[in-house]
Amino acid sequence: MAPRPARAAAAGVSLPLLLWLVWALLAGGCGERPVAGAPITLVFKHAKILGPADPVPGLLRRFEADHPGVRVQSEALTWSSDEQHQFYVINLEGGSPPFDVMMLDVIWVPEFARAGWILDLTPSVAPAERDAHFPSAIEPAMQDGRLWALPWFMNVGLLYYRADLLAKYGFRPPETYDELIEQVRRIRAGERDPTLDGYLWQGKQYEGGMVNVLEALWANGARLLDDAGRPFPEAERAREALAFLRGLIESGVSPPWVTAGDEELTRRPFGDGRAIFLRGWPYALDLFELPDSRVRGKVGVAPIPRLRHGPVGAASTGGAHLAVSARTRHAALAVELARFLTSETAQRAMTEGAALRPSRPALYRDAGLIARDPSLPALHGLMLRGHPRPITPYYLMLSTTLQPEFSAVLVGRKSPERAMQDAGAQVQHLLRSVTP
Amino acid sequence: MSDRRLAWLLLSPALLVLGTLTVYPALWVLWLALQYRIPVFGISRWAGLEHFAFLAVDTRFWNAAWVTGVFTVASVALEGALGLAIAVALRGQRGGRRTALALLLLAWALPSVVTAKMFEWLYHPAGGLVNFLLGGRAINWLGDPAFALPSLILADVWRATPFVALLCYARLLTIPPDLYEAAEVDGAAGLQAFTRITWPLVRPILLVTLLFRTLDAIRAFDIMFVLTGGGPAGSTESLTVYAYRALFQTLQIGFGSAIGVVVFALVMLVAVLYLRVIGRQEAAA
Amino acid sequence: MRPIRPRDGLVLLALVAYASPFFWQALTSMRPDAELLPLTRLLPSHLTWVHYDVVFRQSLMPRALVNSLGIALLSTLLAVGLGALAAYALARLPVRGRGVILLAMIAATAFPQIATVSPLYLLMRALGLRDTWLALILANGSFALPLVIWLLTGFIREIPRALEEAAAVDGADRLATLRWVVLPLAAPGMASAALLAFLFSWNEFLFAYSFTASEASRTVPVALALFPGVFEVPWGDIAAASLLASLPPILIVVGFQRYLVRGLLAGALRE
Repeated sequence: MAPRPARAAAAGVSLPLLLWLVWALLAGGCGERPVAGAPITLVFKHAKILGPADPVPGLLRRFEADHPGVRVQSEALTWSSDEQHQFYVINLEGGSPPFDVMMLDVIWVPEFARAGWILDLTPSVAPAERDAHFPSAIEPAMQDGRLWALPWFMNVGLLYYRADLLAKYGFRPPETYDELIEQVRRIRAGERDPTLDGYLWQGKQYEGGMVNVLEALWANGARLLDDAGRPFPEAERAREALAFLRGLIESGVSPPWVTAGDEELTRRPFGDGRAIFLRGWPYALDLFELPDSRVRGKVGVAPIPRLRHGPVGAASTGGAHLAVSARTRHAALAVELARFLTSETAQRAMTEGAALRPSRPALYRDAGLIARDPSLPALHGLMLRGHPRPITPYYLMLSTTLQPEFSAVLVGRKSPERAMQDAGAQVQHLLRSVTP
Repeated sequence: MSDRRLAWLLLSPALLVLGTLTVYPALWVLWLALQYRIPVFGISRWAGLEHFAFLAVDTRFWNAAWVTGVFTVASVALEGALGLAIAVALRGQRGGRRTALALLLLAWALPSVVTAKMFEWLYHPAGGLVNFLLGGRAINWLGDPAFALPSLILADVWRATPFVALLCYARLLTIPPDLYEAAEVDGAAGLQAFTRITWPLVRPILLVTLLFRTLDAIRAFDIMFVLTGGGPAGSTESLTVYAYRALFQTLQIGFGSAIGVVVFALVMLVAVLYLRVIGRQEAAA
Repeated sequence: MRPIRPRDGLVLLALVAYASPFFWQALTSMRPDAELLPLTRLLPSHLTWVHYDVVFRQSLMPRALVNSLGIALLSTLLAVGLGALAAYALARLPVRGRGVILLAMIAATAFPQIATVSPLYLLMRALGLRDTWLALILANGSFALPLVIWLLTGFIREIPRALEEAAAVDGADRLATLRWVVLPLAAPGMASAALLAFLFSWNEFLFAYSFTASEASRTVPVALALFPGVFEVPWGDIAAASLLASLPPILIVVGFQRYLVRGLLAGALRE
C-alpha cells in the first residue's frame, strides 16, 4: 500500500500537470487562425542565404511597398537538402501547406510537378521572360512542356586550381584529366610537401557525390540513362569513368578521405592552401577571396577537364528555383512574388549581396557586377557548357538508389562492372514500379 | 454487472488500441508488400510477389542480411559473455555496488541517439578520444569500411550489456551463499564452483536475456542509422536501415514494406526457435 | 591489504568503461570550440558555457524537450491507464481465450517497428495527424501497451486473493475492489511499468523521425540527430544537447532505480 503523503503529493503534482499538458496539446495542435480584415500574408519558405548581407528582406520589403495590403513573411528551412525535401513532402502531401512560395532545389521540380503540388506557371510567364534565363536553368523546371518553377540562382561545377603553383611550373589549366594527373605529380615532386594534396572532390555518399560521379561519366561521353530509361547505354565508357575515379584514390592523386568529403570538408583544405585542385561550386570563390584567406589572389577557375571520350566542361548545373504551392489561397499574388524575386533587379541585388550567381545571362555582361566580381564572364561560359542532371520526377529516387552503388566503387568495395550490374538491376526494379 | 461483462469492458479499450495500431498495421504491411505503392506520385497497383522476387536476387538485400547477421551474432555473444562476467564480478564485490549498478542502468536507459552521438564523437578521426589515446593516429573508425561495423558493434555492446548484467546479477543474488561455502568445504572453488553451481542456475535467465537481445539486435535501427547511416558504402547497412531508406528516402512504400515483412518473419522465426530451445531446457531441468 | 583479484580488476574496468563516455561528453560540452578539433590536450584550458547557451537560445532543443515531455507523459498515461484495466481483467476475471490473448501480447512485444512504421505512416497521413503530438502518443502508447499489460498481469496476480475476498465480504463489488484494493497494492508495479513506458517513449526514434516534420512535434532524439551546423558539425553544442536529452533518464535511474530494476526483472523472469 502506497504511503498516504506520497499519494497526496502525487495527486497534487499530477492534476496541474495534466491541465498543463491538455493546454499544451491544444495549443501545439492548432495552427494560427486567420484574422478577418487583416492584410494578406504570403509565406515564403526558403533556406537561409549565406554571405556578407542577406538581400532577401530588402527585396521582400520592396515587394510589400509595391503591393499595399500585402505582407510577406519569410520562413527559414533547415540546412540539409534531404531534410528540406522531407519537410516539403510531409507538408505538401495531402495537406494544406502553410506556405505559398517555396524555394526548391532544381532536382525536385519535376517530382513536385508530377505530384501536383506546385502551380503551372506557363500562363503567367511570357516566352521572353523564360528565354531571359539560361536554357539549362529553364529545362529542368519544365515537365510535359509546361513551366513549373522560375530559376532563382544558379550553380555550375567547376575546377578550382592554384594559379600560383601552376604558373611556377609553367602549366596552363588542364583540359584533360591526364594532364591534371601529370600536373599533380610534377607539382608535388617539386614542392616536396607531404601535406599538399592533389585533387579534392566530393565522394561522400550523398547527392553531391552523385554529382561528381555524373560529371565523370559525362566527361567520358557516357550517360546515366538513355531516353527510354535504360541504365548505362555507353557501358564501357561508364566503366572507364568509374574506374578512373577509383584510380584517383588508389594512385594517391586524391587522398582517401574524399570518399567522406562533402563541399565544406573539401573546400577548407583547399582554402588553407593544402591542395592543388578542387572541384566545387561558384560560392567557394567568394570565400577564397576573403581578406583573411590564405589563397587570396591565388585561385583560378577553369572548366571541368575531360576524359578520353567526352567534352571539356561537362559540368553539372544546379541551383534553386521558386515555385508556388498548388494549394495557395492567393495564387496571383504568389506568382507575382515569385516573378519579382527572380526578376533582373532582384537577381542583381542577390548577386551583389550574397555569394550567389544569377540565372540570367544578361547579368553576366553587366559592367557594374563585373567590376565587383571579375570572374563573371568566365562563369558565363561555364554555365553555357554545363547541363542539368537527368530531368525526371524520379530523379531523387534514382539518386538515392544509385548512391550506395557508386560509393561502393569509390571505397573499393565493388568493381565498376559489379556496381553497374547491381545498379542496373535496382534501376530496372524502380522503373517497373513507376511505369505501369 | 457480471464478471464476464466487466472483463470485456475493461479489456476492450486496450484491445481496441492494439487492434487498430498494432494488429491492423501488422496485417496491412503484408498487403502493402504485395503492392507497388508510391503515394507521392499516386502509384498504387498490384505487384504480387515481384518485390520478393527482386529481393531474392538483390545484392544490396543480401549484403544487408549479412550485416544484420554479423551484427546480431557478434553483439549478442559479446553481451552475453561480458554481461555474465560483470554480474559474477559484481556479486563478489563488497562496496560500490550501488554506483556500479546505477552507471550500468544509466547506459542502458539513455536514448540510443545520445549513445550514438557520444560514440560518434569518441570515434572522430581528429577530435575523438579513441585516436587521442592511441597516440594521435588518425584512424577513420566510422569512415573505413573495414572498421565501421566493429565500431558499431562495440557501441551497441556498451549500451546493451547492462541489461544482461543486471538480470544475471539479480539471479545470482538469489543463490544462497551456503551453496558456495559447502562447495568450498568439498574442495571445489573458483572455476569449479562456477561450472557446478553458478552456471546451471544462471543459464535459464541468461538464455532469456539473450533471446531479448537477439530480437532487439535484429530490429536495431537507431544506433545504426545515426552513427553510420548504413556506413561507408553499405558496410553497416542492416535490413532495417535498407527498409527505412526504401520507405522514406525513395518513398517506395510497397518495396520498403516487403523488406519490413522479411525482418518481421526473421524476428518471429528466431523467437520461435529460441523459445523451443528454452522450453526443452526447462523440460530437461 | 587485500590482494587485488581478477574480478576486482574486471569491476574496475567496467566502471571506467561505463563512466568515461559520460565524463568525456560532459567535458566536451564545456570545451571551447577552438580546442575541439583537432584534439591536442585532454583537459580544456578553461570551461565555457557557450554550448549550452547556443542550445538554449538558438537551437530547437527547448521546444523538442517540451514535445518529448508531453508526448512521453501522455503516452505513458495511455499505456498504463488502459493496461492496468486490461491486466486486472486478465488476472482476476474470467476471460475466454485468456491464454491466447496473453500469448498475443508477448508476440506483440516482438513486432519490429520497421515493419509497422509504413502502415502507421499511411494511417497517420489519412487521419491528418502528421507532425502532431497525437500521432506519437498513439504510436508510442500502443507500442508499450503489450509489455505494460504483461507486466501488470503478473504484478496483480501476486496480490493475495484473500484481500480481495475480504473486500467482497465487506460488500464491495468488482469495480470498487479494483479501485480501492487492487490498484493501490499494484501501485509499485504500475510505477515500474510507467517508468519503462516513459523511458521507451522518451528514447523512441524511428516513429518520431518518420512522423514529424517540424518543431511542432519534433522530439528530443530527432532534434539531436538532426542538429544543424552551418559549415561543420558543432560537436560541443551536440554534447550539451545530448546531456540535456539524458536528464530524464538520469533522474529516473537515480531517483527510481528500484522500480526500474523491478520492472526489468519482472519482464524477463516471467518468461
